[in-house]
Formats: sequence, C-alpha cells, structure tokens
Amino acid sequence: MKALAKRLGPIGVGAAFIFAIVVVGALLAPLIAPYDPTIGSVTQRFQGPSLDHLFGTDQAGRDIFSRILWGARSSLVGPLIVVAVTGVLGTGIALTSVWWGGAVDSAISRVLDLLFAFPNLLLAMLAIAVFGPSLTTAALALSISYIPYTARVIRSMALRERNLAYVRSPQLQGISGAVITARHLVPNVAPLIITGATINFGFAMIEIAALSFLGLAVQPPLADWGLMVSNGQQSLLKGYPAESMLAGLFIVLTVASLGYIGERLGGRAAAGRRS
Amino acid sequence: MLDVQNLSMTIMIEDAAVPILRDVSLQVAAGESIGLVGESGSGKSMTLRSILRIEPENATVSGRITLDGLDVHSLRGEALRRMRATDVAMIAQNPHAVLNPVLPVERYLIEGMHDAQGVPRRQARLRAGELLEQVGIERIDLVLGSYPHQLSGGMLQRVVIAGAIAGEPKLLLADEPTTALDVTTQAEVMAILDECRRELGMAMLFVTHDLDLAASVCDRINVMKDGEIVERGVPEQLRDHPEHPYTRVLMESRPATVMWASNREAEVAHD
Amino acid sequence: MPLIFVVRRLAALIGVLIVSSFLVFAAMYAAPGSPENFLVQGRTVTPEVLAAIRKQYSLDDPFFVRFWNWFTNVLQGNFGQSLSNRQDVGDLLANRLPTTLTLVLLAAILIVVLGIALGVIGGLRDGVADKIIILGSNVGFAVPTFFAALILMSIFSVGLGWFPVFGSGVGVVDRIWHLTLPALALALPSLAVVARITRTAIREERHSEHAVMASARGVPARLVLGRHIIRNSMLPVSTVVGVHIAGLIAGAFVVEYAFTLDGIGTLLVNAVQKKDFAVVQAIAIILVAAFGIINLLVDLLYASIDPRVRLGAAR
Repeated sequence: MKALAKRLGPIGVGAAFIFAIVVVGALLAPLIAPYDPTIGSVTQRFQGPSLDHLFGTDQAGRDIFSRILWGARSSLVGPLIVVAVTGVLGTGIALTSVWWGGAVDSAISRVLDLLFAFPNLLLAMLAIAVFGPSLTTAALALSISYIPYTARVIRSMALRERNLAYVRSPQLQGISGAVITARHLVPNVAPLIITGATINFGFAMIEIAALSFLGLAVQPPLADWGLMVSNGQQSLLKGYPAESMLAGLFIVLTVASLGYIGERLGGRAAAGRRS
Repeated sequence: MLDVQNLSMTIMIEDAAVPILRDVSLQVAAGESIGLVGESGSGKSMTLRSILRIEPENATVSGRITLDGLDVHSLRGEALRRMRATDVAMIAQNPHAVLNPVLPVERYLIEGMHDAQGVPRRQARLRAGELLEQVGIERIDLVLGSYPHQLSGGMLQRVVIAGAIAGEPKLLLADEPTTALDVTTQAEVMAILDECRRELGMAMLFVTHDLDLAASVCDRINVMKDGEIVERGVPEQLRDHPEHPYTRVLMESRPATVMWASNREAEVAHD
Repeated sequence: MPLIFVVRRLAALIGVLIVSSFLVFAAMYAAPGSPENFLVQGRTVTPEVLAAIRKQYSLDDPFFVRFWNWFTNVLQGNFGQSLSNRQDVGDLLANRLPTTLTLVLLAAILIVVLGIALGVIGGLRDGVADKIIILGSNVGFAVPTFFAALILMSIFSVGLGWFPVFGSGVGVVDRIWHLTLPALALALPSLAVVARITRTAIREERHSEHAVMASARGVPARLVLGRHIIRNSMLPVSTVVGVHIAGLIAGAFVVEYAFTLDGIGTLLVNAVQKKDFAVVQAIAIILVAAFGIINLLVDLLYASIDPRVRLGAAR
C-alpha cells in the first residue's frame, strides 16, 4: 500500500481518492441519493443550489445531485464492461497467438490489423446500427475495437517472457502448454494488463459518454453523465448551465484521475497506444 | 597552455550531492600529448567535459580552468562559443551519437566550419572533401552524402576527427575515441588521430581506460581513480615502476580490458 | 523509401477495404428485422406492395448477388439511394463533405501549430510556463470533445457573442468563422497529447549527445535549437500527430452533432438512428478508406523525414 502511494506521488494519491469517491457514490447511490433520478416536478424546474437540491434541478425539475450519483453507475459500468472484456479477450488472444505461433499467430494478427482499420467510434456506431442503441451494444462494440491495442502489448511482452528459462524449463519437462501459460505468463503480464486497463478505462468512459451524448448508448430517462451533458445543452443555451457543466466536470475529473494514475503506473504504452 | 587547478565537481542525484571530481589538477603544454587513464566512472570524461563547459546541468563545479591564461568558467555567450569553435575540439566515444542521425555527413562537417567557425559555405564544402582525404577516407563523395547509420563506427569516427582538426585548434580532447569501435579498426583510427595531431602540432588530452594505449601515444600520463588523480609520470616510469596499487591493477588487467572493450563493441553494435 | 514498400502498403489497404466492405455489408444484411419494414415504417400495407418494394430494392436476390451488385456500383461511385428519403447517397455525401473536410482540416492545423508550439515552449522553459502547460495537457486530454464544445459555445457564442452558435456557414470565410469553435473543441484532447509528447521529446533532445556536441563545437545556440533539438524531436511527434489526425475523422461525428453542423458525422448519426443502411454502409467505407489513407500518408511522411527508415537501418 505504502509502495503504491509512493509510486503514485501526492497528486496520484489525490487522484486515487477522487476516483474512490466516484466509485463509492455509484455503489451507494440508492442509499444516499435524496430523490428519484428519473422523476421530476414541473413546479421545481431550474432551481438553483439549495439545501433541498444541492446541485439544483434540471429542466424537468429533477434533482441534479441524485442524477449525478445515479449517473455515476451507468457511466462506470460501460467502461468496466469494456475493460473486462478487452482484458480477458485481448490477453487470451495474445497468449494463444504466442503459444501456437506460426500460422495461428499470423492469422490472428491479420484479423487484428483489420480491426485497426476501423476507428473505434465507427465500429461502435456500426454495431449500434445493426443491433439498435443500448449501453450493452456500445460497450461490447468498443471492447472489440480495443482488443488489438491490448493484444499487441501483451503479445510482445509474452513473447519475451516465453523465451525466458523459467517458462521454457517446464515445457521441456512435458507439462502441458495451457498449465504453463496460466502458471507463469499470466502473473508476469498482470501488472501490464492492470496498467493498460486503467488507461483504457478513461478512453472507454469518454467514448461511451460520447455515444450516449449522440443518443446511441444509454437511453433517457436513465441518468448518465454523457446523456446529462446532452440533455442540458438546451438549458445551457437558455442560461442554466448546471446540469451539463456538472456532468461534464465529473467525466473530466474521473478520466483525468485515472489518466494520471495510469501515467504514474506505466504510461500509455501499456495500453498499446502510441500516444 | 591548458591549466586545470583543483577542479571539483558534484552532481545532485535525488537530493544527494554525489562527488564526481576531487581537486583534479593537470597541465597540458602546447603540442604535448597528455593521458588521463582510469576505469569507467572515475571522472575522466567529466574532466574533459568541464573544460568545454558541457558538464551536466545538475553539476556544481569549483576550481579553475585556464586556457592560455583565459579563465574558461568566466566565459559567457559569444566568447564561450568562439573558444569552443576555434581553440578546443573534442572527439567523443560514440560517433553514432555525435552526428545528428537525420543529417548527411557533409552537413556535420559544414556545420563545424561554416556555422561555428565562420568559413564561407562554398569553401567549407571544398574543404570537407580535403579533410576526409586527410583522415584516410577513399570514397569521399559517397561518405559525404551518406547518413550516419549507413557508415561503420570506424568510418564515422574518422569523420569526427576530420571535423575536429578542421579549425586547427590548439587542443584536442579525445574521450575514449576508439573504445566503441570494432577491434580491427581501433589501431587504424588511433594511428590517424595521432598522425593528424603531430602534423598540425596540436596538444591533446587523451582519456582512456587502457594504460598501454595511453603509453603509446602520450608524453605524460595521469592515473585517475574515484575522481582523484592518484599517480602521474612518464609512460616508462608508470609501466616499469608503478607506485600506486591502482596503477598496478590497471597494468595487470590489460587483457581483461581488451575483452571488456570488445564486449562494449558488441553492445554498441547491438544498439 | 523503396517504391515496392509503397505499392505493398497500397495493396494491403485495398485488401482491407474489400474485406471491410464485405463485413459491413454482411453485418447490415444480418441485422435483425427485415429491410422492407424500415421502408414502410410501421404502416400496414398489402402483401402486393411489400412484394413490389422487395423487388424494387432487389431484396429477394441471394446475398452474394446483392453484395456483388452493391460493390460494383460503389466502385463506379454509385452508393445507391437513402432508404429514408430516397435521395441519392452520393449526392447526400457530396453536399456534406465540405463541412466535414473543413472541420477536420482546421482541427488538424490547430493540433499541429498550437500543440507543437506549446510543447516546444514547455520543453525549453522551466518554471511557470512549463507547469501551466503540463497541467493544461493533463486536464485537456480528459475533456471529452462534446463537453469542450458546450463550454466553448457557452463562453464564446452565448456569453460573448463572438461566434455563431449553430450552422456551418456559406462561402469560405463565413464557413471558417462558423467552424472555428467546433474545430477547437475537436482538436482539444489531441492538442493536449501532442503538446505533452512534444515537450518530452524536446527535453530528451536537449540532452542528446549530438545537440550537446554541436554546442561544444561552437555552433550558435539558435542553430542547435532549430537544427538539432526541434528538428529531431519532430520524429516521435510526427507519428503521434498522424495518429491523432486520423482519429479526428471519428471525433468529428460528435462535434458536428453538438454544433448541429451539416457534415458527414451528423448524417451518419441520423442514419444510424433511422437504420438507413445504405447511408451507413457508404459512410463506413469512405471513413475506413480515409482513415487508411491518412495512416499511410503519415508513415510515408515519417519515412521522408527519418533517413534511417527511408534507407533501411542496415549498416
């Protein structure tokens, strides 16, 4: 714990603290949110901040604080799906590729190259065009478009590890490939997978929020930060910026915190991004 | 001509001041070749670098370095630049790092003569060819048009030597000029360097870990250990009657240093 | 760079385009729900009308025949008809393309000029300017383009009234004026990344042996800076800039939508919402092609500035 804090530095610890607050808020939303996030009252439209409504209310009279809390849930769940699916599939594909080598390896890298040819958001939009708008579709499609990045990093790392003596020796003793892979390679590439996940979580959060903003991921009346930015756009132009600004601010805080933590842990290279 | 008096240097590494040089004093007279011998990390290169004022940014330097009576550490701006351009030239260890990888060799030579020394561009271009001939390069136009990565270390170090002698400086600073080279070209490059120096009557401060090599090209030798000069004398004296135990170690470890040198070469080639 | 390399890359790109158009077409074909239901849009129609529609759009042909017909038409520049408003997809695209191209171009210029300039300043100065640039790049990278769009809109359009809120403008000057804020929003995250990468690269090159030795040879500081430090730091920067400019293509959807610009992106978003597959397919193929071409150009540019890539690294 202390070693981790030292690695993060003072700003990094602060960033971890911010992220922790967001996660706790999301988990406890049903307990601590003062109002139902989807039900408003026409008489309570565009209220300023008060003890009743900490962050004020939106154009439908809904409590913005409650919507931010509930919105944290869908805003975190999407990236979580992406990171989990990408982590598992990306690692699996990379290890398969390294383990079998030869034709399997080159076939897999052809497929990954093909995925690289599609910008992430475009792939997600194609999936949404086919299956209809939903958070699950958006998250799964993005997961697939992130696989090449993760697989590329894990592959090159695993390739190096494979040639080291400790992996080779049991191979000579005749233990099956899968066992060796699981026992030795996975623990050794784990730090890389975790750092990559930290960075990819931020990317996924922004891209899913963008899809929600376009009306293609989370659907109203559910509370979601990306949706709230979009929902508040009309109010903002009328001079009520609270909803859009607060929701946007929470996205920025969460992504910036995770980005900083990831940067301290190993940098964007671990996520397979050239930048 | 060159007079280094009580040169000390510390470098800040994570809040700790690490001593690099302690009270180093040495003199080089005009036309003389002086050796500075020690293993890596003994502070030889830092001594050379502080003469040109290119020590690391986090280094603190004290002591006095004068060049023909001129205090080097008091030089600023244009005066410092002129000193670097005309009076002293340095030949560093790894020529592949010294030349800008994206510029052709010709630009390296022209830059030194035209931009640093003020020779008209046309003249510098003609002189570049002559200089390469002087350091024993045959396919001159091919080399001039090549990029650094296309040439061997030995070839490139000749180019660096050509650049160093272009302005006929009073003093050459040679920092392990052959260590990073292929063993087969080491002797050749060393011979060219020594020949050029003698022909043009330049003084040289020669840094190496190889006492035998220093003995073959130097008039006097300083042995350096942990940032201090521990013994000095003429080559025969050091070779036949070394006083400091470290000098003896350097003498005896000669075969090992040769091996070390060839390992280094392998590493550099790998890079 | 050997010509053979360029030819091979072009061939690979064409291969990728053929395979992706097949995949996109197949995905749309396999989409749940039958296309004629989108066409009649919930109205009850007689089986005869349905049959007529199926015939008009050749929906009864086998899959491969339909793919082949579509593909050969696309090769001739004929993208078919929009299912929702019967307009020619090619015309729709041609009308929308100038807005998107101007937007992406403006954003690319902002990324290159501002990103590199800020990075160079941060890399050369120590102190307040550098601190501000580090902080700005850390935060800027985390600001989603659609949120940046809203902030810029509320400050400069609603608050100060300097720029129009919506629309793409007519004529060159008016269009640039309308697209300045959208381009800034689109460029912001990439600009932050490019500034940071440039800063790091400049700091590394400042301490590189060839820059230090150039100073030691008496080369004037101004030339060391331009010829050795800035020029060489552009090698890593150029690949990052390239990746980000290619990425603008997808980012443009979101910004166009936020500013209600009539570009390709808004067209795609609307087509996705309405399941107008003819439009979705066409835009997808064009974007994949643009993405591939930009990436190829970046690699060629990189090779042209780094002789080690251009001439091969063999010694």
